[in-house]
Amino acid sequence: MIVTKKRELNRLKENIKKYRKVFLLGCSECATLCGTGGEPELKVMKETLESEGKEVTGIFAAKSGCQVLGTKLELKPFKEAIEKADCIIVMSCGAGTQTVAELYEKPVYPANDSMFLGNMTRFQIFDERCSLCGECILDKTGGICPITRCAKGLLNGPCGGSQGGKCEISPHLPCAWQLIIERLSKIGELNKLEEIMPPKNWDQTPVGKTPDKKRGK
Amino acid sequence: MKAGSNLEKILEGGYFAVTAEVGPPKGALATVIKRKGELLKFHCDALNVTDNQTAIVRMSSWSGCVLLKELGIDPVMQMVVRDRNRIAIQSDILGAVALGIRNVLCLSGDHQKFGNHPTAKGVYDIDSIQLIQTFKAMRDERKFLCGEEISGELPLFIGAVENPFADPFEYRVQRLAKKVRAGADFIQTQAVFDVSKFIKWIEMVRDQGLDKQVHILAGIIPIKSVGMARYMRDNVSGISVPDEIVTRMEESKESKEEGVKIALEIIEQLKEIDGIHGIHIMAVAWEDIVPNIVERAGLLPRPIL
Repeated sequence: MIVTKKRELNRLKENIKKYRKVFLLGCSECATLCGTGGEPELKVMKETLESEGKEVTGIFAAKSGCQVLGTKLELKPFKEAIEKADCIIVMSCGAGTQTVAELYEKPVYPANDSMFLGNMTRFQIFDERCSLCGECILDKTGGICPITRCAKGLLNGPCGGSQGGKCEISPHLPCAWQLIIERLSKIGELNKLEEIMPPKNWDQTPVGKTPDKKRGK
Repeated sequence: MKAGSNLEKILEGGYFAVTAEVGPPKGALATVIKRKGELLKFHCDALNVTDNQTAIVRMSSWSGCVLLKELGIDPVMQMVVRDRNRIAIQSDILGAVALGIRNVLCLSGDHQKFGNHPTAKGVYDIDSIQLIQTFKAMRDERKFLCGEEISGELPLFIGAVENPFADPFEYRVQRLAKKVRAGADFIQTQAVFDVSKFIKWIEMVRDQGLDKQVHILAGIIPIKSVGMARYMRDNVSGISVPDEIVTRMEESKESKEEGVKIALEIIEQLKEIDGIHGIHIMAVAWEDIVPNIVERAGLLPRPIL
């Protein structure tokens, strides 16, 4: 899921200080699981803003805020409440905020920061395991991604900083290559690492990709 | 000969090589490099110039190498993949060779988090093994990474590093083998303090015949003080300092001399190990001690060729 965290409330307040009427939109998918944009958080935000003297014209948790047409249809019954509002606060990830920006000619403000694509390892504890790099190499690394989980993103690791199973940058961070080697040893596939992995095509990754490659089926 | 550097001639000639590290200044004073060069010139076969070690910004390795070259010293340019993408890496090596640099040492580099610009973006476009492979293809096939041709020769003696004290221990030799397959001509190891662990590692290296395919220089760090011994034991990732060494330093009245004695004892043991082709002295901020160590270790005259 897309992991989000709540932005500092003061920042949001600063963003919306010139507006009085606001509409709140959350999301029933990732933001709900993260506790940053589901029904309970929408209600808390409504109360908070009302106590600050704002008028909340309506609240709604979209089914999936990243789905542009679906969200448009879902929001039809809220037409009046949205029209009445001076701005819309979106409590989802950056994708949801941009859906709203596309649908309405009104100021839009994010209530959350989008962090990463994460696995929930315990209740609302997240771990980034996939960088959406566009060319999966998990077939070669025993299902553990070094691009995401090695601090240097090494494809032919481990570096000389791997000590006692931990990464040189933090005693709390497991060395991804230690994990990969242990796992491949267990499943009898350590020989997979004999191959020298070639340089990565970074033009498929979120940081290297040009916007024209960020669209499509 | 691949590059014809002094270091290559010495190692290919079967001599025991002595190299040392020169840390460039946090400034543009050429005299800092020149002074270190003059100091070490007749005590080493080649001198490495580090590349923003511990991710702290310093004078570039290639410029330090050029300054040493002007003194008649064979420089080893260190290059980390932390700060350059594949375009800059290839461009820099062309420039380095044009300036007369013939030895290059390929490293990942300490993570930027440790340095004085911890919010920098780490590049890591290619990794250290791919870096070796890139230089080998540039030299032997005269091809850039993209496959396009390079005009003219690219004489290079390609080095890599290995840390026998990092984990997973059993896998370190496989990674060394990978570096050899990628094209490493010589290896400089992390500093050796735990000689028995190093011997276990070199036995595994010999079992795979790697010592016949690559020249291995064992790393030496002279310890200057008790504080340094403790700091390296407790805080420097990738360095393993046994408690006995820290205790020796603690109990000694003359810690500098004790540090030199420890280094000499380690060198003495390393000289006897089959498969070790030289030593690489990394006297961090203590280059002045290197002549003393080399002389007392009986390794003079230098350069041997």
